[in-house]
Amino acid sequence: MKKYAMVIDMDRCVTCHACEVACRSHYDVPVPYYRNWVHALPPQGVYPDIKKVSYVGLCNHCDDAPCVKACPTGATYKREDGVVVVDKGLCIGCGICIEACPYGARYIDPLNEKVDKCDFCIDRVTNGEEPACVETCIAEARIFGDLNDPKSKVSKLVAAGAQQNISSKVNVGPNIYYLDSHDNFPIIKAAFPPKVPKMPTPQKMWTNVIRPLFWVAIGGTFLGQMAAFATQLFKGESEVKE
Amino acid sequence: MGQRISKLNEDIRLDHDLLNGPRHLTFEEKRILANRVIKKHGVAGVTLHWVNALSWFFLIFTGVALISADYLRFAPQWYLNMMDGIFGTRSALLHFHISIGVFWVTTLLLYGIFGYKNYLLDFVKHDLVLDGDDIRWFPAKAKNLMGKISHYEMPTQGTYNAGQKAYALVVALSTALLIITGPIMAFHLGSTTIIQWAMLLHFIATMSVFAGIFVHVYMAALFPEERPAFFSMITGKVNELYAYLHHYKWWKEIKNQEHVFFAEELTKDGIHLPELEECKNIKDHQAQVYTIKGEKL
Repeated sequence: MKKYAMVIDMDRCVTCHACEVACRSHYDVPVPYYRNWVHALPPQGVYPDIKKVSYVGLCNHCDDAPCVKACPTGATYKREDGVVVVDKGLCIGCGICIEACPYGARYIDPLNEKVDKCDFCIDRVTNGEEPACVETCIAEARIFGDLNDPKSKVSKLVAAGAQQNISSKVNVGPNIYYLDSHDNFPIIKAAFPPKVPKMPTPQKMWTNVIRPLFWVAIGGTFLGQMAAFATQLFKGESEVKE
Repeated sequence: MGQRISKLNEDIRLDHDLLNGPRHLTFEEKRILANRVIKKHGVAGVTLHWVNALSWFFLIFTGVALISADYLRFAPQWYLNMMDGIFGTRSALLHFHISIGVFWVTTLLLYGIFGYKNYLLDFVKHDLVLDGDDIRWFPAKAKNLMGKISHYEMPTQGTYNAGQKAYALVVALSTALLIITGPIMAFHLGSTTIIQWAMLLHFIATMSVFAGIFVHVYMAALFPEERPAFFSMITGKVNELYAYLHHYKWWKEIKNQEHVFFAEELTKDGIHLPELEECKNIKDHQAQVYTIKGEKL
């Protein structure tokens, strides 16, 4: 079984935004949102010791994806090949997954009111092509492949020390790896740390208060009626009395 | 002809006697009342009840399978798998749930709009509003169930007893909530925060009704004393003994109204029954008397 992953070579990225544009045009991503982004940070350091760093990001297709757990209907699910996808027919656009995602990779598409995000261009990949962002990258800074295949370029780069954007608080097994030989990645991690997954208040109430309450209420009435019915059967039926 | 009039006369005499308040019945009186039927529900009411029941059944049946996240889930995993097997895909299940919901809401709204005067107002007045007797009924029923007081010491009840009214209130409020929250989720009417709250309210409303459904079904279908109520939801009619014992206030209203009708009709034929003369006095109250509108008794 395959396990798709992506390595982003920060040494090669020139912040040209071509991947972002390719993704936007391929999927008609509406403007304030991204399936795939390049966030350029302001210049870092003090002259003459200055560096320019960009956060290249997309859905991390996490092994232990908080969005998959958060989705109430099961519209967001993880395929066997590791790609986290959204079943648009089942999504009701509740946005609980958006608050759960540590990487801000999800948004509600204003055109159809359903949630959308990167799906590793799974249709292209199934057809033997590479994801749009990978194919378009002028510097070959994005490498896509199968982590379960030890001979793949991705596996070799991960073995060579590509890192995930994780923190001591949040580690949900992201599958986007960053290759960096200029100590730029710590700057990215400091500027864009993974967020702790949040649960909206109504869902907290649901799981902590309402659901247990109804288990008791429904169980209570059901058992009560069963007891009443058992008594009735035990006594035997008689014609209507006063 | 003369024999029939005297039979009617006897019936009216018995009614007239019983209209003074509930009392212990003799065996003969019980037999007479048990053999007479009066109308409790119109065709519209019976139809709506079963359309409503069937819709609720399908909506709960499919709805609990739509909640699949572990931290929200109500049904066991095997049930979800079974529903996936029946419907093929989860999105087909959602589509079915929404379709039934739209059908249900449309039916209710049509009844509410076109039957505003005939059904909705009557329903609110006779099924939802609790009066003083209804409030006193709850502690009395508790005592009655414990065997401390007899049936005749209980406050008399109208078309529906206080327990039925309380559940009807829960159902009515929940229905209103579901009609609001359902479309919000199905058609994305509002921000994600609004949809998240709609989900919770949708769940609370459904479960409040679901918690009482065992009592409702048991009481109507299995509990011997209330069984006439179950058949009244098919035929629309109940026997008068049941009406007299369980819904005295309603029985009295129907009888008063019937007597006014008899008095008028018999006067036309030149027959005067002394028991019916009094009815003319209550004629003024007729406007307040419960009727199944548009249908003669």
